[in-house]
Amino acid sequence: MKTKLVIAGSVLWASTAFATEVITHPAVPMDQLTVNQLRGIYSMRQQKWPDGTAVRVFVLPAKNQVHQTFAKEKLQMFPYQLDRIWQKITYSGLGSAPVVLSSEQQMREMVASTAGAIGYIENPDELSTLKVIRITQ
Amino acid sequence: MNYPPLKSFVSRSKLCLLLLLGCSLQLQADEVQWHGFISQGLIQAPETNFVNLDDSISAELTDLGVNMSWVLSDNLRLAGQVVYLDGGRRYTKGTRLDYLFLDWTLHSDFNWRLDMFLGRFKNQHWLYSATRDVPFTRNAIVLPQSVYFDSFRDIAVGSDGLAFKVTRNTSLGEIELNWSWGATNLSKEQSQILLSTLAQGDAEQDYVHQASLFWRPDQSAWQVGVSLLDSDFSYDKAELDYYFDGAMTVQRVMFNGRYAAEYWELSSEWVQERLDISDFYAPGFKRDSFSQGWYVQGRYNLLPRTWALLSVDLFDLDKDDRSGRKFSESTGGLVPAYFGYQDELTLGLTYDFKDNLRLTMEHHWVKGTARLAYPVLPDLQYNKSEYWQMWAMQLMYWF
Repeated sequence: MKTKLVIAGSVLWASTAFATEVITHPAVPMDQLTVNQLRGIYSMRQQKWPDGTAVRVFVLPAKNQVHQTFAKEKLQMFPYQLDRIWQKITYSGLGSAPVVLSSEQQMREMVASTAGAIGYIENPDELSTLKVIRITQ
Repeated sequence: MNYPPLKSFVSRSKLCLLLLLGCSLQLQADEVQWHGFISQGLIQAPETNFVNLDDSISAELTDLGVNMSWVLSDNLRLAGQVVYLDGGRRYTKGTRLDYLFLDWTLHSDFNWRLDMFLGRFKNQHWLYSATRDVPFTRNAIVLPQSVYFDSFRDIAVGSDGLAFKVTRNTSLGEIELNWSWGATNLSKEQSQILLSTLAQGDAEQDYVHQASLFWRPDQSAWQVGVSLLDSDFSYDKAELDYYFDGAMTVQRVMFNGRYAAEYWELSSEWVQERLDISDFYAPGFKRDSFSQGWYVQGRYNLLPRTWALLSVDLFDLDKDDRSGRKFSESTGGLVPAYFGYQDELTLGLTYDFKDNLRLTMEHHWVKGTARLAYPVLPDLQYNKSEYWQMWAMQLMYWF
């Protein structure tokens, strides 16, 4: 029984530790997105927010744990599928891949300071400079 | 349809691209993006004419490219790419303008998007057609020849013309519809890769018309698609020529599917191709045949940076003569039956040294020679064996 509790606790801790949240620039005129809308943005098909502001997409490196959790939990895709989509649009001329940032700190700064920006981080706390977006089915 | 001579078109296009690149240096970084790739490999396919004729290990496995995407306004963008390719005898060697087109976004909101492309654009209708020359986007160094026949590469890779792409979110999932109309201007060298060096006349693609539909169901690991192709070619013989004036129609029906799991994936395409030849071999000659092929490729993520590949690729030149026996008999036994099919098993391994530095190695075991040059004239001198093998390795870097 004690062992089960420890395992359950570890699983809970692990999922909490790696929970990611989608964040945007505070002026983005949306509070929630569906999974399909988020996929549209991260597949680089969705170019504008409803108010006409250009969508600026930021990501962390492919091997980053937060990126992997974001892809699987929020986009319900695997990181290699995202890489393939971005490579296809980049090298066949259909568009541009997202901007890759080196750290979560840089992600916070860039999303907070770039109009129309969207990104993701683990456990956001600076709510005054970032907006947390709820993802629905 | 009249085109300027290809060399002049290509050189003018390259000049335009260089000028655009020069102008773009003055622009802000978010208006222009640059990317590229460099790769070099080794390949050997003894007892065939696939890469070379002397059976040696060849370094003719080079893919280089540089591209730019320039945002001109909210809904207008210019994109271009120049590549240098060397695949030995597989396709034309040299520098070429891969694409240069204007992308006009006619509508974009959260539910659907419509784009129009004008210029030279890539074939967006098959699983790997848009990036078949970009090595790190392929599962294998040599793509399954049933669908991605290298002798047809230069005419299948893209077109000069007009195309549309629509993506729409529906209650059934995401639907993507592509439509294109255009043609590829064939150089003498490209014609001879299709028709052999015996062809001295002018081959021309009159048009190619394609449409495709992809469906990605919600909360599903599947993606499925269907595509159609219709294309006409004409041949004007030279004064002294092995062939005669003639016409060809190529029509394709294709289905594709892909299943993605966390540590493995499957991709598959099925093709039926109609080839209708009038005259060409001799005045009054007529042949209408249907070839069929399909492949399935499975990839497994063995270790964090390592993927293994298993691929099976089957092709029959005539779906009503899968053994090639009737085909051989029609030539009085001169052409062996194994020119009527090509079945292939491939094992491969890919290792990522970094996120943008990859080494791929693969070995092919092949039975039959139906997908070796030339599509219209079996090469009996160099394709001597029913059973043959090929290996390749390629190091690739991209930015």
